[in-house]
Amino acid sequence: MKKIIALALVLSMVFALVGCTAGESKKEEDGKTVLTMWCIATESDANRPAYEKAIAEFEKAHPDITIQWEAFENESYKTKIKAAMSDPETLPDIFFTWSGAFLGDFANAGNVYPLDEAYKPFADKLPEVMLSNATYNGKHYAVPLTYNIVGLFANMDLLAQVGWDHVPETYEDLTACCDALLAANIIPFGCAGKENWCVTEYLEPIIEKTIGYEAMTQIMLGKQTWNDPGIQSAVDTFQDMIKKGYFDPAGAALGNDEVKANFLAGQTAFYQNGTWNCGEVNDASFKSAVALFPVMDSSKATYGQVIGGPSDSLAVAASSKNAEIAAQAAFELGQSICHYAYLIGSGLPAWTPDYDTSEVKPLVNDAAAIVAASDGMVLFGDTIMSADPANTYLSYVAQVYGCEIDGAGFIAGLAKDLQ
Amino acid sequence: MNRMYSNKLHILIFILPALLLFCAILIAPIGASAYFSLFDWNGFGEKTYIGFSNYKELFTSDAIGFLKALRNSLLLAALSVCLQLPLALALALALGKKIKGERLFLSVYFMPVLISTVVIGQLWLKIYNPTYGVLNVFLRAIGLESWAKIWLGDKATALGAVLVPTLWQYVGYHMLLLYAGVKSVPPELREAAMLDGASDAQVNRYIVLPYIKPIIKISVIFAVTGSLKSFDMIYVLTNGGPLHATEVPSTLMINMLFLRNRYGMGSTIAILLIILCFLFALIISAIFKEED
Repeated sequence: MKKIIALALVLSMVFALVGCTAGESKKEEDGKTVLTMWCIATESDANRPAYEKAIAEFEKAHPDITIQWEAFENESYKTKIKAAMSDPETLPDIFFTWSGAFLGDFANAGNVYPLDEAYKPFADKLPEVMLSNATYNGKHYAVPLTYNIVGLFANMDLLAQVGWDHVPETYEDLTACCDALLAANIIPFGCAGKENWCVTEYLEPIIEKTIGYEAMTQIMLGKQTWNDPGIQSAVDTFQDMIKKGYFDPAGAALGNDEVKANFLAGQTAFYQNGTWNCGEVNDASFKSAVALFPVMDSSKATYGQVIGGPSDSLAVAASSKNAEIAAQAAFELGQSICHYAYLIGSGLPAWTPDYDTSEVKPLVNDAAAIVAASDGMVLFGDTIMSADPANTYLSYVAQVYGCEIDGAGFIAGLAKDLQ
Repeated sequence: MNRMYSNKLHILIFILPALLLFCAILIAPIGASAYFSLFDWNGFGEKTYIGFSNYKELFTSDAIGFLKALRNSLLLAALSVCLQLPLALALALALGKKIKGERLFLSVYFMPVLISTVVIGQLWLKIYNPTYGVLNVFLRAIGLESWAKIWLGDKATALGAVLVPTLWQYVGYHMLLLYAGVKSVPPELREAAMLDGASDAQVNRYIVLPYIKPIIKISVIFAVTGSLKSFDMIYVLTNGGPLHATEVPSTLMINMLFLRNRYGMGSTIAILLIILCFLFALIISAIFKEED
């Protein structure tokens, strides 16, 4: 009898262990379809209110669908989504993604649901060109939310202190302005050295304004060599600015949030970063402006050439049991998130606005005007390249910011390691 | 009972749950990592078998910088053994003498072990902040302005700045282990030595230390393998930067696995870490055995 009891206990423990791993996710509640969603709109994210409003609106319009969403911090999300991709069953129905090579790797692995059919009813509101960064082998794989470029944000109150009433539009003017700021004990720029993508927000516009957007696109796509004297000159220009003391040295140890906070607190005169910051900068206590980095070589580049494009997107997992419904929901949510993000100033519209835009913040309108007038665009470097080369590139960018290598070292290293 | 132990089937049935757990949680992942380390794989696409190429690349590629990361880990291990453990031992010996407020001191020294590493990391980020951090503010206040640095952003100071809180956090852990050992020394041994005229230092040197040698061995193994596996504090403070100055194998592994999508290379680093931890544990055990 004792043996039987012991055996039963052991078997129950084994079954309990097996049972622990065999739980199936609940997909329906009270007859409602439950769609799971992951995104990066955490409590502190500028897009959070846009997501909250869009989801509430969607659930009201579709009482038979519930969106169960979770938000993760930007950097940890990259880890989470990639880990989930290795077991597609763990993916949510809808997930936030960056377009370009980031999504391309997932799409090429067959883990993303194509959205061509679901796109058709929305084609008049979402120009097809906005889907180009998420199109692989002729199929669309993601719904763009916002459209963002790298903007040069300026604290006009600080600039006024040194006699500038506008953002400098030539490099000579910019250096003169920075020299005047330094003479007045005002730090011109802040750049987060702890996050390499923030350094690219400075370096890439300088490269683009030196060699032009067409050449830069070809190089980023690996179709032309990095061994380009124009890039060498751009890197040297950037390092010249660092060596002149235009950048806050403390930035080397800071993350983007801290550097942005310094700018918003009036500690630096300029902050070059994505236009998703327009709303926050607009609401700062000082008079602000947004512009572009000046042209370095007018024979190859123009002022209107920008870094950026539609990248923030929603995609649908191929493993979703409700893929068709999720695809429809992704478009509706995407349109709605875009709408509210535009109004609060956390992004420019990838979708054609069909609503009252009179309340859009002035700085957001200025950024939208820059995009409307742009005559060339290169997607963010770490988005356009796939993960491994993108991180090699970022590693070289970090070395440039730390002045470990100069322009010659940058182009020679990337030419060797990436091509 | 003897009959029961002699029945191998019974033994197998009783150890089966623990065995299954052990295999599922430890053996299977190690086996899977060893298998994946032989492939060029991004973690979700097609795998390509490349043999030991990942291992070769890891030791020859300057771009990956594994040797530098390993050097940083070994430096951390050396400092753990040379600074952290002596400090922990000194505290354990001092507290083991039934001093006033023994419990309070024990709790105070052990507190950093209980606090989440992320919280401690955030705390030290504030201490090191170049503008308002306590360290720079203090240096400026006492007239040592030139000593104020961008501690975590400067390649020259970042590694040292990261090692200080990493070592500090676990002093209390080793102290507690050693304190338990010190407390287990029979009082009559101490008393006999004292009656023979031995000083406190002599009692510690000739009675306590030999008695707690097995615990010291365990502490050394934990300190060295813990240093080789160190990740969380470094991830919070610098994430391996600036310019890989504070890179350790674990941060490099995360970088390979989830930023570069090089699952095969990440698995290779994981396997090497396991081998290194086992190797150092065996070497330390052998050293202590030889001394015995």
